[in-house]
Amino acid sequence: MSDKLKQIIKKQSQKESENLTHTDDVVQLVGFVIGDEEYAVPILSIQEIIKPFPWTRVPQVPKYVIGVFNMRGAVIPLIDLRTKFGLSPKKHNEETRFIVMRDGDDVAGFVIDRLTMAIRIKKSNIGPAPDTASGDDTAIDGVGKQADKIITILKVKKLLQRDF
Amino acid sequence: MDEFQEILQDFLVESFELIEQLDQDLVELETRPDDLELLNRIFRVAHTVKGASSFLNFDVLTHLTHHMEDVLNKARHGELYITPSIMDVILESIDLMKALLSTIRDTSSDDGIDVSGCVARLDKCAKGGADLEVSAQQTYIEAEDELMETMEDETLEAVCESEPDYENMDADEIEAEIERLLQQRQAEDKAKREQKNTQKKAAVSKVQEDEEDEEEYHTVSKAPVVITPARKPASLGNDEQESDDARAASPAKKQSAVEQTIRVDVKRLDHLMNLIGELVLAKNRLIKINDDVEERYEGESFLEELNQVVSIVSIVTTDLQIAVMKTRMLPIGKVFNKFPRMIRDLGRELNKKIELEISGEETELDKSIVEEIGDPLVHIIRNSCDHGIEAPHIRAEQGKSETGTIKLKAYNEGNQIVIQIDDDGKGLDTDMLKRKSLEKGLITEKEADNMSDKEAFGLIFKPGFSTAAVVTNVSGRGVGMDVVKTNIEKVNGIIDIDSEVGVGTSMKLKIPLTLAIIQALLVGVQEEHYAIPLASVLETVRISKDEVYTVEGRSVMRLREDVLSLVHIGDIFEVERILDSSEYAYVVVLGLGASKLGLIVDTLVGQEEIVIKSLGEFLKGINGIAGATIRGDGGVTLIVDVVAIMDMAKHVRASAVVDTKSDVALLTREKSKASDYTVMIVDDSKTDRTIMRKALEPLGITLVEAGDGQEALSILKQGDYNFDAMLVDIEMPRMDGYSLATEIKKYNRYKNMPLIAVTSRTGKSDRMRGVESGMVEYITKPYSADYLMSVVQRNINFKSEFLK
Repeated sequence: MSDKLKQIIKKQSQKESENLTHTDDVVQLVGFVIGDEEYAVPILSIQEIIKPFPWTRVPQVPKYVIGVFNMRGAVIPLIDLRTKFGLSPKKHNEETRFIVMRDGDDVAGFVIDRLTMAIRIKKSNIGPAPDTASGDDTAIDGVGKQADKIITILKVKKLLQRDF
Repeated sequence: MDEFQEILQDFLVESFELIEQLDQDLVELETRPDDLELLNRIFRVAHTVKGASSFLNFDVLTHLTHHMEDVLNKARHGELYITPSIMDVILESIDLMKALLSTIRDTSSDDGIDVSGCVARLDKCAKGGADLEVSAQQTYIEAEDELMETMEDETLEAVCESEPDYENMDADEIEAEIERLLQQRQAEDKAKREQKNTQKKAAVSKVQEDEEDEEEYHTVSKAPVVITPARKPASLGNDEQESDDARAASPAKKQSAVEQTIRVDVKRLDHLMNLIGELVLAKNRLIKINDDVEERYEGESFLEELNQVVSIVSIVTTDLQIAVMKTRMLPIGKVFNKFPRMIRDLGRELNKKIELEISGEETELDKSIVEEIGDPLVHIIRNSCDHGIEAPHIRAEQGKSETGTIKLKAYNEGNQIVIQIDDDGKGLDTDMLKRKSLEKGLITEKEADNMSDKEAFGLIFKPGFSTAAVVTNVSGRGVGMDVVKTNIEKVNGIIDIDSEVGVGTSMKLKIPLTLAIIQALLVGVQEEHYAIPLASVLETVRISKDEVYTVEGRSVMRLREDVLSLVHIGDIFEVERILDSSEYAYVVVLGLGASKLGLIVDTLVGQEEIVIKSLGEFLKGINGIAGATIRGDGGVTLIVDVVAIMDMAKHVRASAVVDTKSDVALLTREKSKASDYTVMIVDDSKTDRTIMRKALEPLGITLVEAGDGQEALSILKQGDYNFDAMLVDIEMPRMDGYSLATEIKKYNRYKNMPLIAVTSRTGKSDRMRGVESGMVEYITKPYSADYLMSVVQRNINFKSEFLK
């Protein structure tokens, strides 16, 4: 490889890492409500957000796994976050959405009460999860502070992990 | 470097293919040690690997193959007779060669395996059998051999002394060098040959082809001249052609014929198969839409055109599916090939004489299945050798031939492949099997008594079962056959055993052609659908409820001569029984090997071709569910795992009983205060509802109102309340009181709920209809508040202490 080419590549990679550090400051999240709380997950882990449609019940699973549904030919599990978070089930309404999240090869749909908005939040404004809910077992990644409220940021990896 | 990798890949692929054939050839060789063609074939493998490996600088491999080649070369020149002990050494060296190749594949280097011991033994064989120094010179005869040798020598030299020399040469120079060395060697050999030729002529008197010219001699001389003359003409043509081919091919890639094939990455085929799966789903959907359209636009002219297109798409899709399936097919010989060697080793190890007969090795199976069945077959054959075939002296005593025979057979049977393993050993003794299982606590005494022969044979697949009195290192650790069953069931296959004491055992593995797309029977239970693989469905029967008997807490029915145990699919899959099923039910008779089970379903939907989809990492391993499929309407239907269901059915009965109890408990839940009682008032007149409410309010019970039958029904369905009774008006819009009562009675949960008719209809026939539809009380308007209150109190078992 010629030295010139190496230089160019080096420059490019430098630029890229600069870009990275630049965007690193801000995290983009999608916020949603379950019960009375607002939660958020990183926008990049969301494959799509869809309106509710019919699903098929699956036997012998915990209550919060309400079934599977067909997303363009792939069979995807559907998880009710209300039930998972210990809230009473609620009828789906106009605002109910399925959020399809992905982490590597793991994909699942999650039922949420309603969407709020896409949020840009500075990394410095994200605090760690409270001590009572930290460690490997928690699904809480951190707490995002905003002017008038705080948002619980969830670990997508943990949500997609089978725990039964 | 990339180029090197590419060459290395080619080398490995080629070598592994060669070796696969080698095992079988070697074992055959032992029975026919003087088969020249075989010997040549084996020699060529060692030779090719040696040549290529030296070219690629794999010194250890070269070293080993070089010595192997020596021994084999002697053998094919008739200077060495292959005895079983020599064969052991050769086989050992082949194993080492395999190990080396695997190491090379994994690490791109052949370090770390010690071959010196084996090389020494090979040398000993070569020396022991060799008698003449002259014959050692005979090694290089063929032109193609020469070239290989030259190159090998060259590279060896290069490795030893002057590697950089060749590294630094450019292609032309190397070619020139090779050319030079080649010519030199050819000249030398020619001289040698001529010399030897005359020697041989003198030594061997009975050679018929004395007068061969130089050219012909060149091709034939590969065969030792000492071999019986009668044989020679037969092998002549063959040899000639082979060496011609060989000469035509390039030295680095020696192939006997150019095949019209290309290598394709399996991933691409898998992807293609997935796409076909999607297409099949789309086709199913298209057919469904076509049916709908046909219904709606009956008689329209465009329908015919649509029909044609749909059927063409349907046919082409099916053909395409078959075509792609075929590209994934491999001959089962790939698996069978390793068995002759295995049988030979086992035979020597166990001191038994065993012969293996293979047929149908060209039968084709899906690649993924071929990979899965290798291990189970190994286990079965090991078992046959170890437990099935008796020791020679016992066989002789029983009047059987001393050599036991194992037959391995593969053939197509409908949509399945059958692999049959027969042995003529001692067979399975059912009494012994039962006793063993009892001792190990695998079955109970009662189970043992009721067991059919087939079921008893099935015991050998139980985890923890081993029939061998002595545990050998061949088999008998009690894990083998258990694994066999699991692996075969993993590919949706079934095992069928037949055996006769003293005569032998026959095992049939029935395996589906492909894993991805299957025929299924779709059944309905309540509002859910399930797909059952059609291969496990024996038949379906419609029965009326009173044909179901209960024996020891289990449902059974009489099916012709047999008693069939039954299980409701709803009990297995925890389906909520919202609707009370009708008088008739359908029983799907599932068969798996010897065991049968009747699965009660509410409806039969039909037969459909389904594409199996995995439920993914998150939901894998759900008991009773094998996967899911997407239906024509886009919905997901779960596929029943018949094997698991059979097992679950044994436990599910008990839990179902518990379930119903808890249901009852739910309904008659202890009431601790007046408001725990809930009564629904159904009337279309607001005034009437208010009157009733006013009359009942003093009781303090919870009251829910509904404006008509439909509304009442949907409130019931929501299940927000647990109703203790209902007051129902008869004349209502949308759904009247009678229909409402009939509907309510369909729900298990509310079957016993008291329905009280409150109406102005006083006719006798009206009362009769009320009773028919399930009303327990009939209150005619107008009524006194006290009367209404007392009727309600009576029907909901209102406890008087709650009265204020």
